[in-house]
Amino acid sequence: MQNHFTRRRFLHSAAAGSALFPGILQQLLADSGDPLALRDPHHPATARNVIFLFMTGGVSHVDTFDSKPALTRDHGKEIKADHPEIQNRPGYERIYLKRPQWEFAPHGQCGTEVSTLFPHVAGCLDDIALIRSMHTSHSNHYNATLGMHTGSFAFARPSIGSWVSYGLGTMNRNLPGFVVIAPKQTYAGTQVYANDFLPGAHQGTLVVPGAQPVANVAPRIPADRQAIELAALRGINEAHLAARGSNDPLLEARLRTFETAFGMQMAVPEAFDFKQETDATLESYALERGQTSGFGWQCLAARRLVERGVRFVELIDTGSSGNWDAHGDMMTHVGLAKNVDQPIAALLEDLKRRGMLDDTLVVWTTEFGRTPFNNNADAKGREHHSWAFSSWLAGGGVKGGIVHGATDEHGMRAVEKPVHVHDFHATILHLMGFDHEKLTYRHAGRDYRLTDVEGHVVREVLA
Amino acid sequence: MKTLISTIVLCCSLTGISWASGDGIAFFEKQVRPILIKHCYECHAEMNSKGGLLLDTRQGWEKGGDSGPVIVPGNPGESLLIQAIQYRDPDLAMPPKKKGGRLTDAQIASLEEWVRMGAPDPRIAETKLGGMSEEEAKSWWAFRPLPEPTPEKIDAFIEEKLSEKSLEPVPAADKRTLIRRATYDLTGLPPTPEEVEAFLADDSPDAFAKVIDRLLESRQYGVRWGRHWLDVVRYADTAGENTDRPLPHAWRYRNWVIESFNADKPFDEFVRLQLAGDLIRAGESRERLNEGIVATGYLAIARRFGHDIDKRAYLMHEDVIDNLGKNFLGLTTGCARCHDHKYDPVTAEDYYALYGIFESTRFAFPGCEPKGQPRDLIPLIPQAEVDALLQQWQAKVAEADATKKQNEEMVEELKGLVASNVHTVAEDKVAEGANVDFARKELEVREGEVVQLTVFPNGSHAADSTQVRLKITERGGERSWSLEDLIDGFTSGNPRGDHGATWCFYESTVGPAFLTTLHESLQSNASLKAWKRKGDALSVFVNTDEQVVRVWTTLPARSVFMHPERNRPVSVGWVSPLDGTVDISGMVEDVHPSGGDGVSFQLSHLATPKLGDGLVKTGIDLNRKHVDPGPKPVIPVAYAVTEGDPANARFQERGDHEKLGAEVPRRWLSVFGGDDIADPGQSGRLELGDWIAEHPVTARVMVNRIWHWHFGRGLVGTPNNFGSRGEAPTHPELLDWLAAEFVAGGYRVKPMHRLIMNTAAYQQSSDRQLLLAEVDPENRLLGRFGRRRLSAEEIRDSLLFVSGQLDPEPAEAHPFPKEETWKFTQHHPFNAVYETKKRSAYLMVQRQRRHPFLALFDGADPNASTPGRQTSTVPTQALYFLNDPFFHEQAAAFADRFASLEDDKKLGRIYRVLFQREPAPGEREAAKAFLKQYPAGPPEKWRAYVRVLLAGNEFLHLD
Repeated sequence: MQNHFTRRRFLHSAAAGSALFPGILQQLLADSGDPLALRDPHHPATARNVIFLFMTGGVSHVDTFDSKPALTRDHGKEIKADHPEIQNRPGYERIYLKRPQWEFAPHGQCGTEVSTLFPHVAGCLDDIALIRSMHTSHSNHYNATLGMHTGSFAFARPSIGSWVSYGLGTMNRNLPGFVVIAPKQTYAGTQVYANDFLPGAHQGTLVVPGAQPVANVAPRIPADRQAIELAALRGINEAHLAARGSNDPLLEARLRTFETAFGMQMAVPEAFDFKQETDATLESYALERGQTSGFGWQCLAARRLVERGVRFVELIDTGSSGNWDAHGDMMTHVGLAKNVDQPIAALLEDLKRRGMLDDTLVVWTTEFGRTPFNNNADAKGREHHSWAFSSWLAGGGVKGGIVHGATDEHGMRAVEKPVHVHDFHATILHLMGFDHEKLTYRHAGRDYRLTDVEGHVVREVLA
Repeated sequence: MKTLISTIVLCCSLTGISWASGDGIAFFEKQVRPILIKHCYECHAEMNSKGGLLLDTRQGWEKGGDSGPVIVPGNPGESLLIQAIQYRDPDLAMPPKKKGGRLTDAQIASLEEWVRMGAPDPRIAETKLGGMSEEEAKSWWAFRPLPEPTPEKIDAFIEEKLSEKSLEPVPAADKRTLIRRATYDLTGLPPTPEEVEAFLADDSPDAFAKVIDRLLESRQYGVRWGRHWLDVVRYADTAGENTDRPLPHAWRYRNWVIESFNADKPFDEFVRLQLAGDLIRAGESRERLNEGIVATGYLAIARRFGHDIDKRAYLMHEDVIDNLGKNFLGLTTGCARCHDHKYDPVTAEDYYALYGIFESTRFAFPGCEPKGQPRDLIPLIPQAEVDALLQQWQAKVAEADATKKQNEEMVEELKGLVASNVHTVAEDKVAEGANVDFARKELEVREGEVVQLTVFPNGSHAADSTQVRLKITERGGERSWSLEDLIDGFTSGNPRGDHGATWCFYESTVGPAFLTTLHESLQSNASLKAWKRKGDALSVFVNTDEQVVRVWTTLPARSVFMHPERNRPVSVGWVSPLDGTVDISGMVEDVHPSGGDGVSFQLSHLATPKLGDGLVKTGIDLNRKHVDPGPKPVIPVAYAVTEGDPANARFQERGDHEKLGAEVPRRWLSVFGGDDIADPGQSGRLELGDWIAEHPVTARVMVNRIWHWHFGRGLVGTPNNFGSRGEAPTHPELLDWLAAEFVAGGYRVKPMHRLIMNTAAYQQSSDRQLLLAEVDPENRLLGRFGRRRLSAEEIRDSLLFVSGQLDPEPAEAHPFPKEETWKFTQHHPFNAVYETKKRSAYLMVQRQRRHPFLALFDGADPNASTPGRQTSTVPTQALYFLNDPFFHEQAAAFADRFASLEDDKKLGRIYRVLFQREPAPGEREAAKAFLKQYPAGPPEKWRAYVRVLLAGNEFLHLD
C-alpha cells in the first residue's frame, strides 16, 4: 500500500510536469500503466458501448428509409441542380428525377415508412430514431468515408472508435477496446480505424471474419510450454527491473502486457466461438452452426464482444468494391440489404432481450446517399449524393420510434433540421457521456477533437 | 465642393490624433468606447473578427472587413458602420437581433457625432505579424542571430542547470552499456561480441572516442540517421491520394538521404539541394546534376490528395508549406493557410508568398484514378538521349502499328474476295481413323485463282492430326504440283513458291490468317516441322523422316499433315499460275484416332483472280514486316520537381481555393525580412533554399534534432515547434552554443555527434535515482541518461542481425507492379506488404495502409512529420513476441547458429551477442532449470529459451 501511494504521488508529479510524449503521459497517468484504464466521461452516460454498423458505398436513402411519393409522381421530370456529381460531366447536361424502385409501407407503433428492402429492420422501428436529414461534406467515397469515421474529409485523424476508447478506457483488459470487424478494407484503408495521434492503445483492432480473426492470437506452441516460457520471461524481466531500482513505469507496463496477451489468446477465440449460442439464436442471425463469415456472424460477434466489455465495435458490411455503390443497377441493393437486414434486426432484438440495448448504442449509417435523379429517368443506377441521406440510432438512451429531420419532396436536400456528420458525431459522443468540445487531445501545439470546430448535439433524438 | 470636403477630412485624419487629442479623445472615452465594448467587441475584437472586421483598434476599422473600410472619418453618411447601426438595410443591421438588436437613438447619435469629429481613436494596435507583435517577433529567442562560438564545454551547461536545483548527475555508465548505447544510437544495430571485447581491452583515454569514430565510418550509420530525417520529411513509397499509388522512383531520394548522412554532407547544402538541387546543380556534371534532381524528391514526396490530384493541388502545397515550416524552421507555417497564424509571426500573405513559389514548380505526377499513368518524372540522362531512345522505340511501335493495320485491311479485303465467288469442288466427312480419296477432272482456273483444301474438326470436337495429299496437274502441259513436294525445304517460307504457283498455309476460321510462326521441331523431334499461328496446335506440318514417327500418334514417313483446332479449320491454298484446265486428286486421312469423331474436309475453288495475289502478298508482308517493337526502353527517372510556369499566387480568402483575392508576390517570410525573390522568371526555390539554409533558426532546429535523437528529448521539447506554442529551451545557452558550433564547423553533422557523445552527459548511467526521478521525472535537466525502448526498425533489424539473416546492403526499388499494368481505383487501391531481409529503413511504407509491423511498434507517421517516436506499450505487441512467425523464425535461426556448442558455452555466447555481457551465476542456474523443465528436444528447448531472452526487456531497451 505504501508502495502504491508513493507510485501514485510520483505519477502525479510527473503529470504536473506536463508535456512528456503524450503516449507516455497517458500511460503514467493510468495507474495500471495501461492507457486503457477506466475513466469517467464528462457527464453521466446513457450508453456504455457502441456498435457502429457501416454500410459501405453509399446506400440510397430514397429506396430504403426516406419515403418520397413525389419522386414517384414526378418520375421523368427534368430538373436543374448545381450538384457536385454532374458538374462538367459529359452526358449529365440534363438530369431527370428517377422514382424509387421499392414500395414503402408504415411499420410499428410509430408508423414510420420503410421500403421492402429492409423488412426485418422495419420491425424494430419503435426502438429506432431515424434521421432523414443527414448530409456530408464530400461526394467522393474516400473522403466521405474518412469523414464519417474521423470528422476529417481530407487528412488522417483519429477514428471515432479511438476517441471513445481514449475517453473511457476499457472494461476488459483481455480484449482490445476498439474492434473493427470487416471482411475487406473499405475506402481510405486502415485510416478509418486508426488512432492517428492518439496513443497506440486506442487503435482499432481489425478482425477479418474467418479462422484466425486477430493477428498472432493463436498460440504457436502448446500451452504448457508457453506457460514455462512466460514464467521464465517474467523472471528475467523482474530481475532486469530490480537491477534498475524497480522504479521504471515503462518496464513495468511492458511486463504486464504479456499477461494481457496471454489472456487474449484465450479471450479472443472464446469471444468468437459461438458454440454456446443456442440454435434459436444462430437461426435468428441467419447463421449455420460452424459458419465463420457473413454479416450475421459479424453481428453476433459484436454482441459477444460488447458483452465482454469491448467499448466500440464497428461492423463494415463489405469493402471498397462490390458494395452499395449502385451506379450501374439499383437492383444490387437487393442482395446487399438481404445480407444485413435480418442480422441487424436479430442484433437489436438479441440486445433487447438480454437487457443490453439500454446501454448499448447501435448506429447504422453509410457515407452518403444516392441521387434521386440520373441523366436518364430510366437509368438503372444512381450517383453519389452528399446532400442528403438517412442514418439511424437505437438503444443507449436514444428515443425510439421517431423520425428526425426531413429532405425536400424529392429527397434532394436535407431541408428540415439538417444533421451534418459533425452533428451526428457530437450526438454519439453526448450519449457516451462526452461534451464533444471537451474531448480533446493536444497534438502539434493544438487541441484536436473529433468534431473539429463544428458539431451540435441533436437533442431531439435523446430519450 | 465634395472634393474639397474630402480633402479637408483627409488632412484632418492625417494629422488627426494630435488635433483631436483634447476633446475628441475625451469624447471617445466617455461616449464611444463603452458602446463599442458592450455591443461590438463580442464579435469584433481580438480573435473574433466576424466578417473580417475588428473594432478594438483604430487599425481595425481603418482596414475594415470583407466590405472594406467601415468608417470614413468626418462623414457618417458614407460610413458603413453608421449605416449598419442605423438599421437601414436589413442585410446590414448591427448589432444583430440575437445580440441585443438596435442601439438606442442616443447611442447612435454618439457614434455619428464621433465619426463627424473625424473618429478620434487612441487605440493604436501594436503592429502585428500573425500572432505576435512585430517587436516580439523580431526578438523571438529562436530567430536571434547566433552568438560567436566559445570554448565552453557541453557538460558545463548541463551541470550549471543541475546545480541550480541542487542535483548531481549520476555516475558514468559501464563500458558494456556504453558501447551498446553508442552502437544502437549511431547504427541502429547491436555491437558484436568482438567489438565489445576490443573496447573493453582498450584502456586508452580515447577508447570511446575511437568507437564513435568507427561507428561514424560504418555505412549503417546513414541507415539509422537517414531514417531520422525520413521521419521528419514524412517519407512514404505511395502518393496517398485515393488509390494510394506506388511511387516506384521515390527510393532514389530515400537512398540519397542515407548516403548524404554517410558522406557527412554539410547540412546547409543538404537543405538547399532538397529545395532547389536541380537549379543549384544546373550546368554541372551529369552526376552532380542528378544528385541535385534526386534531392528535390523531398518536395515531390508531398502527400497527394483526392480523386483527381490536380484539383487538390492546394492541399499538396499546404502539405509542402506545413512540412518545410516544421521541418526546417520549427514553425507551423501550414496554420496560416486560412488566416494569419494565431500565435506565431506568420501571416496568411506569407503563406501565399511561399505558395506562389511552389505553384511555379512542376511536381512529378504520380498518377491518380482519372489520370492513370505517372508523368513529369525527371529523366536522369540528357533529354536528347531520352528522345533518341524513345524515338527509336516509338518509330518501331508506329511501324508495327502501321503494318498491323495494313495487314488487317488486307485481310478484310481478302475476306470479301474469298466470300465472293466460291465453288465447292469436293467435300466429305472422314470417319475416325478412316481415309477418303477425292478427285476432280477438268477444272477451269484462271491465273490468281485459288484451289483451297480445308480440314475441319467435326462438331465441337478438338483437333485431329490429319494426313493430306493434294496433286494438281495441268491438262495438256508438263507441270504438276503436289503437297509432298513441299516436304523438303518446308521451313523456307509460307507462302512458298513452287514452279510458278504459290502454296499458302492459313487458318480459315474468319478470314485467311497466315500461319506465321515456324516450329523447327515438334515435341523435340527434328523431323517434325510446323507452321502455326500462336502456341496452339492449329498447324500445317510435315514428317521429313523416311520412317514413321511415333509421337502423340503414329505419323507416316514423308507426309504432310493438317491440324485443325476446336471450331477452327485450317487450310492450304494453291494459287494458280495458269489460265487453263487442271486435274485434281488427293486424300484426307484421320491419323489420330483417339476417341474423337474424325474430321471433315472441303476442296474449294475460289474463283476470283485478284484473290491469289492478295493472299500471297499478305503472307509475304506478314513474314517480312513482322515488327516487334519490344518493351519500352527504361529511362532512369527521379520522382522530383522542376521549374514550372513562374507566377505569383493569388491570395485564397479564408483558405478557399475558389475564392481568389489579390496577387501575392513570391518572397521570404515577413518576420525574416520579407525579401522578394530575385528573379521573377524563376520559381524562387533557389532563393528559398538560401533563405532557409542561412537563417539561424534552421541551425537551431537541426542541432536540437540531433540532440533529441541522441537523448530521446530535445533541449527544446517540441522539435517541430520553436514558436510560442512550443516549449522554451531547457538550456537556451547550450542550444545557441551548439548551433554556433554547428555553423562554425561548416554545418557538418558528424562532428556534432563527436561533441555530444564525448560528454559526461551522454556517457552517464540511466539509473532513475529517486531524487532525480521525483524532481525531474522527464529528465529535462539531463541528470541521467534516458532509458528507451528500441524503435520498430531497431527491433526488426536486431532480430535479423542476431539470427544472421540480415542483408546489410542498401536496397533500391521496391518490387511494385509495372506502371503499364496499373489499374488502381478507390475501389481497388494499391495494397502490398513486401518481405525483405534488408534493413527496415528500406521497408515499403504506404500512406493509406500502415505497414503492420511498423504500426505495431510506433513507426513514423507517413502522413505527417514525426519529430520523435512515441513508445506505446500494448498487449498486441506482446502477442507479436508470443506468436508471430517472423519472430519465431529469427529466434530459431539464432539458436541454431550455436547448435554445436555445449550448453555452458552456448549460453555465454548468446548472452554476449544479445546483452554484451556474460550470464550471471543466477542466470546460468535459471537457464539450466528452464532447459531441464522444458518438454522438448535440445534444439527446440534452446529456441524456446532464446525466444524468452529476445522478448525480454533487456534486449528491447537501451540503458
